[in-house]
Amino acid sequence: MTHTKLDVRGEICPYPMMRTVSALKKLPGDETTLEVITDHPPALETIPTQAARLGFRTDIEETATSEWRLTITRNEAEAEG
Amino acid sequence: MTDEDTGMNAVLALTAWAVAAVVYVAARALDTEFSMFWVFGLAFGFVLQRARFCFASAFRDIFLLGHARNMKGLLLGLAVGSVGFGLVMSRQVPLTGLGIYPPSANVLPLGIHTGLGGLLFGVGMVLAGGCVSGSLYRMGEGYVASWVAFAGVMGGLLVSAYTWNWWWEAHIATAPRVWLPHWIGHPGALVVTLLALAAVYVWVVSIEHRAGVVVPPPASGARPETESVVDDLRSTLRRVFVQGWPVLPAGALLGALNVLLFTAREPWGFTGEVSRWSIGMASIVGAAPGPLAGVESLPGCVLVPSDGLFFNHMLFLVLGMFFGSFAAAVGAGEFKVRLPKRPVRYAQSLGGGVIMGYGAGIGMGCTIGAFFSAIPSLAVNGWVFGGFLAIGAWIGTLIIQRIA
Repeated sequence: MTHTKLDVRGEICPYPMMRTVSALKKLPGDETTLEVITDHPPALETIPTQAARLGFRTDIEETATSEWRLTITRNEAEAEG
Repeated sequence: MTDEDTGMNAVLALTAWAVAAVVYVAARALDTEFSMFWVFGLAFGFVLQRARFCFASAFRDIFLLGHARNMKGLLLGLAVGSVGFGLVMSRQVPLTGLGIYPPSANVLPLGIHTGLGGLLFGVGMVLAGGCVSGSLYRMGEGYVASWVAFAGVMGGLLVSAYTWNWWWEAHIATAPRVWLPHWIGHPGALVVTLLALAAVYVWVVSIEHRAGVVVPPPASGARPETESVVDDLRSTLRRVFVQGWPVLPAGALLGALNVLLFTAREPWGFTGEVSRWSIGMASIVGAAPGPLAGVESLPGCVLVPSDGLFFNHMLFLVLGMFFGSFAAAVGAGEFKVRLPKRPVRYAQSLGGGVIMGYGAGIGMGCTIGAFFSAIPSLAVNGWVFGGFLAIGAWIGTLIIQRIA
């Protein structure tokens, strides 16, 4: 399974969220997961909401000081239902 | 974050607070007002950082996301501020029929400059990714673009100073200062203000519902099992200093701090002080804008001509906000130097800052002075500035979606 990655470290508000949303919209149908690296704390609230609206769920993991990996996965069951 | 990280952050934060204490003692030796404003600045900066209380996102996210997290906190802060300011002003001006204004409240001349100032400020803050207070607290978190935005604000304020006398002659000198208690008394003005805030609340909640699901913030605030008094205190410390604050208590606290500052001397606001810095720098290179008509007669964050002095109580407020945020960010492990990789972000931050600075110059304040302190002053200019801030933020939202 391929895995698309997006590094939005250093970005100003609200681009971490906006670039994640546009990457999710462009995510090929056969891919289920987008991995986002961010150092922008407000994105930890805005990305899960926007991802949920597009039918994805978000798992957040802190990888370094003020740096997080967001694993955004397509919600297959909901997409089919 | 590991316990070791948390311990390291605590050491760094304690060092920062020790520095803040030394500055307090030094400032107090100069003037007790300096040290008091330093403490207020630290408190504002600390709360802004802990809750990431961003005025730009409060407006922008309504249009961009259909999301009103920050706006709700902002509305609560305005309500708390209005009650407090209302009580203070009813003691300052007991008889509203005499046409007297409260001496330091932000009741500003209302005219085209108010609307255009709010509009420009709204566009600029969304372009730059933060308003003036937002840029200040993000400067403390290590966002380099916010330093660029702040430089832009200083430039925009200076440009507005060059055009001030035109604005004064054409619009501001003859513009009315509309203070609600003159029309409907103190209780009436407070009730109308609170009802209007409630109406905005209903409006933003309805927008949230139309936009659909809002995922609650990650449950990092979940209370761990506490077995001893020490554990319990440690978990409380973590919630204050490490975990992000919910926005509602932060909004209420900012409103209450604003009331305290108003009681002590004047409402929260600082773009006047920032203009003093840029005008002062311009005069060093011989480019001072010259005398500014009428500014001595106006309250709030109106432009401040260079006085040739370095220290000022407001200097301590602004530096305190920056340092309070820095200490808070270090303690929470949220300080990191963040450099945008795309060159356009620097241009965007600088340009947004200049636009914001110009808007703050002619609007006589920013999201704090002309809005967060003006609506509690029961002044109509606060509502007009706020309405145009929203329109500006909407335009700004359209623009940023076109800049990749």
